[in-house]
Amino acid sequence: MEEDILTTLKILIIGESGVGKSSLLLRFTDDTFDPELAATIGVDFKVKTISVDGNKAKLAIWDTAGQERFRTLTPSYYRGAQGVILVYDVTRRDTFVKLDNWLNELETYCTRNDIVKMLVGNKIDKDNREVDRNEGLKFARKHSMLFIEASAKTRDGVQCAFEELVEKIIQTPGLWESESHNRGVRLSDEEGGRGGSCGGYCSML
Amino acid sequence: MRMDETLVSADGKNSRAVLCQRCGCRVLSVGTATLAKRELLLPSMKKKSSLADESNPDTELLVEHWLVHDMFTFENVGFTKDVGNVKFLVCADCEVGPIGWHSLEEKSNFYVALQRVRHE
Repeated sequence: MEEDILTTLKILIIGESGVGKSSLLLRFTDDTFDPELAATIGVDFKVKTISVDGNKAKLAIWDTAGQERFRTLTPSYYRGAQGVILVYDVTRRDTFVKLDNWLNELETYCTRNDIVKMLVGNKIDKDNREVDRNEGLKFARKHSMLFIEASAKTRDGVQCAFEELVEKIIQTPGLWESESHNRGVRLSDEEGGRGGSCGGYCSML
Repeated sequence: MRMDETLVSADGKNSRAVLCQRCGCRVLSVGTATLAKRELLLPSMKKKSSLADESNPDTELLVEHWLVHDMFTFENVGFTKDVGNVKFLVCADCEVGPIGWHSLEEKSNFYVALQRVRHE
């Protein structure tokens, strides 16, 4: 039998240009086919199904697809989002410094104040690191964000990041209940008893 | 090319899960889409097609599609930015495509070409 669909969620991926936001969404990067089309036109958003505690959540994941370069992210991009993944490049301190700007923008445009945030320090497979893990962790704690270091290249931590974020959103019932009224079944008596959500869900696919 | 009749169940739905040809990512679960015949032009998948150059479209006419009416029916799928009033569908995991077609004028129709996917 198919699992029940718990809810549908809108997730944003934001951060400076070149930090690897788009590639965070890619699980396979071999060269058998030419992904020319997506590269030329650009991907607007993706629907992904993720399993959390035996329930399926459908995610609509929006990547800025380069618009951040021109600072043209519109309020509609942010509207209704329940989760946001904030990405920086651990080999470029400037992308870490700019996180404050992104948080400000988020605060300005987000229609909810309980949006779940996750910080991703990307490209840890490179050796010219400029931002160490502790700095990332500290920043995340200060702003009540989940934190993970990742490498899209090795796919380390990426699946984990999505699962943790979704887990956290689901643990914040006010954030998604209203979205699920006409979609499948609500989670029964699952809430509570699931303590700190950081770590422990890294099923590398 | 004749389509494989065993792909369609008695009620016209997909009897097998629909997967990405390249990476196996699951696009549609069993029984979630209806077979629909419609002539749609999709840019070629494997060759370097320059979509920016519309005077030289390297396209293919495809007729058999899996049709769904809600984007959240998909297990995994990516939508390109608008090309005219069309969004092409690509694999969510590897971005190969286009595997399907969606017109902004038909808000609740999403087509996935049978020839552009694999069946489990």
